[in-house]
Amino acid sequence: MVSSPVEAAAEIREPERPRTGAGRWRRRIAPLILLVLGLGAASGSWLLKLGTLHHPAPGLWPFIISMAIILSAAVLIVRPGDEPLEAWGRRSLSVAAGVASLGAFVVLFELIGFFVPAVLMLLLWLRVFGRESWRWTLVFAVAGPAVLYVIFDRLLGVPFPADLALGAFV
Amino acid sequence: MDILSNLGEGFSVALDPMNLLFVLIGVVVGTAIGVLPGLGPTATIALLLPVTYTMDPTASIIMLAGIYYGSMYGGTITSVLLRLPGEAASVVTTFDGYQMTKQGRAGAALGIAAIGSFIGGTVAIIGLTFLAPVLGKIALSMGPAGFVALMVLGLFLVTSLGTGSTIKSVSMAAVGLLLSTVGQDPVNGSARFTFGQAPLLSGLDFVAVAMGLFGVAELLRSLEQTEKAQIIKTKIKNIWPSRRDLKDSAGAIGRGSALGFFIGILPGGGGVISSLASYAMEKRRAKDPSRFGKGAIEGVAGPETANNASSTTAFIPLLVLGIPSNVVLAMIFGALLMHGITPGPQLMTDHSGLFWGVIASMYIGNLMLLILNIPLVGIFIQMLRVRQGILVAFSLLIVLIGVYSINNSSFDMWVVLAFGVLGWIMSKTGFDPGPLVLAFVLGPILEKSFRQSMLISGGSLDIFVTDPAAAIIFGLILAVIAMKAITGFRRRTAGAKASTEAPVTEDASPQGTDGPDSDDPSPLLTASAVPGEPEPLPAGKQHSPTA
Repeated sequence: MVSSPVEAAAEIREPERPRTGAGRWRRRIAPLILLVLGLGAASGSWLLKLGTLHHPAPGLWPFIISMAIILSAAVLIVRPGDEPLEAWGRRSLSVAAGVASLGAFVVLFELIGFFVPAVLMLLLWLRVFGRESWRWTLVFAVAGPAVLYVIFDRLLGVPFPADLALGAFV
Repeated sequence: MDILSNLGEGFSVALDPMNLLFVLIGVVVGTAIGVLPGLGPTATIALLLPVTYTMDPTASIIMLAGIYYGSMYGGTITSVLLRLPGEAASVVTTFDGYQMTKQGRAGAALGIAAIGSFIGGTVAIIGLTFLAPVLGKIALSMGPAGFVALMVLGLFLVTSLGTGSTIKSVSMAAVGLLLSTVGQDPVNGSARFTFGQAPLLSGLDFVAVAMGLFGVAELLRSLEQTEKAQIIKTKIKNIWPSRRDLKDSAGAIGRGSALGFFIGILPGGGGVISSLASYAMEKRRAKDPSRFGKGAIEGVAGPETANNASSTTAFIPLLVLGIPSNVVLAMIFGALLMHGITPGPQLMTDHSGLFWGVIASMYIGNLMLLILNIPLVGIFIQMLRVRQGILVAFSLLIVLIGVYSINNSSFDMWVVLAFGVLGWIMSKTGFDPGPLVLAFVLGPILEKSFRQSMLISGGSLDIFVTDPAAAIIFGLILAVIAMKAITGFRRRTAGAKASTEAPVTEDASPQGTDGPDSDDPSPLLTASAVPGEPEPLPAGKQHSPTA
C-alpha cells in the first residue's frame, strides 16, 4: 500500500484526544451499545428463568454476567476516558468495502464452490487494496486458489461445496 | 528423583523425530512472524489453529509453543535493526537496541539478546520443572470454590495489567463470559441465546472467535495503515558480542532471568510487563543511568532475558492450574480443549507425556533458536520484502477456508467475519480483545465451578470466604486493588503538583502513553522505564501486548 507523499501526509492523523464537546460524546457511543447489549442479555436471561443460587436455572449465570456488563457500561458512559484513539478516516471506508467483499466471497462459496470466488477475491485484494501490478495480480490470483484447492480439498480432504469451475475436470 | 525421571520422559517425547520437526517448524515460523510487522504471535496461532486440529495433541502444542517463544525473538530482530517492534514485548528493546545499531553494534545487540533469551529460557524451564509438581499438588487439593477464585484472579490480573483502560477491559471480559454462554446450558441442556440458529446450539467456535478478533481484525486494520517500506542498510557483522559486552550484561541477564521467572508465574504476567520491569530495574541500578536510551547493552540484555524467562514460566499457570495468563496462552488453551484435553492439575498425571514433552521441547526450542538465529538473521530480514498486500490477501483467504474446514460449515465463516469486524471496531474504540477471548475460554469452566460451589454450600456465597484457598486468593485480589488505588492516588496528587510547577511537556509524544495524566495502568511504565524518546515509534507498529 504505497501512497504518494501528499496522500501519506494526509493520512498521518493525530490521535484524537478530546477533553470536551462532541468528541467526548462520540466516545459514549460504544458504551451505550454495550449497555443495550447488557440490558438485552439481562432480559434474555430473565426469560430463561433464574432459579436460586442453590438450584440455578439456565438464566442465572448469564444474568450475573449481564449485570457486570451493565455496570461497566454505565461507568464508561459517565467517564468515557480520554486516552488517545485512532481516528476514523477515509480509509475506514476501504475496510467496509473489504468486509463486504469477504461477505460476497462466503455467499458465492456456498453457491458455486471455492475456485471462482477465490480468484475474484484475490483480484480485488491484490490489485485494488494491495496495489500490485496487473501481472503479479493475475499470476497470484490464479495460481493461489489452484494451490489452495489442491491442499485443502484434495490433500486434507475438506469437502468444499461443488465447484463450478474445477468440479468438471479435477 | 521423580522429577528427573519425568523430565527424562519429556525429553524422550520431545526428541521424537516428528516432534523435533514440529519444534523446528514452530520456532522458525515464530521467528518469521515476529519479524513481519502486522502478524503477531496471536494472529498466527489463530490462523494455524485449524491446522493443529488434525495433528497429534502433543505435536500441536509443541509447535504452538515454539511459535510463541520464537516470535519473541523475531520481534527482537526488527526492534534492534529497524526500530519496528514486531510484537509488544520488544518495544523496550528498541530503546537501546536501535541506538546500538546506529553505533554499528547491531551484531552485538542481537547476539546478547539471543544469549540472554537462551539463559532466561533455560533458567525458567529448570524452575518450571521443580515448581510445577509442587503447584500441581496444591491445585489438586483445591475445591471448586478455590478454582472460581483462581479464575477470577486470572481475569482480574489480565484486565488490570493490560494496556488501556481497566474498566473497558472488565466490560470486555464480561462480554467474553456472556458469549461463552451461547449454546446449551451445561447442566440441563436447554438452549441459551441461540436465536433459533441450529449451529449455535454447540456454542460459538473458539477458533472462529479467536481468528476473527485477532487474525481478521488485524488484517482489516492493515487496510487503513500506510506501509513504510524499510530497507536495511546496516551490514551485520560480529554477531558474537565481545568479552566486554558479555561482562557488562552478565548481571543484567542474571537479574532478568530471576525477575522474568517470578513475573511469568503470575497470571497476566508474561511478556511486556517483565521486559518493562527489567528495563526499569537495570536503569535504576546503573551507575550512570544516562547511558540508557543511548545504546547501553544492559538495556537490551536484561529485558530480552526477562521477556523470554517470563514467557516460558507463563506456561506454569496454564498447564498446572488451567489459567492462561495471556492471550497467546489462551489460544494454546483453546488448542488443548479442541483435542479434548482440559488443562489443569490433572494434566500432569493424565497426560504426563504431553506435559513434560512440551516442557522439554521448550528447552530444545531455545537451543535451536540460539543456533539458528545467529547465522540466519540476514535471511529473516529478507522476509520484510514480502509485500504486505500479498500477505494480507492470502492470509484472509486461508482464514476463511481454514475456519470452514473445522466443522465444514460456512456458518463459521460468518462468525469469523463478524468477529473480525467487531475486533476492528474494538481497536478503533480502545477496547482490548484480549480479556474478551480469555474470558470466553474460561467462561464454561468458571460457570461449572461456580455452580458446583453453590451446590456444595447450599446456595450460600459464604463458601468463598470459608474455603481457605478461595479466601486467600480473594484477599490477594483485594490487596492488589487497594495497592493500585493508593499508588493511583499518590500519582494523581504528584502529577497535579508537577503540572502546576512546570508546563506539561510529555504531551509532545503523540502516543501519549507516558503523560502523567493518562490513566495508564502500568505503574512500571510511568516510573522510570521510558527514556526520553525524541521521535515517536512508527505509527501502526504499536501493538497491544495481545496482538
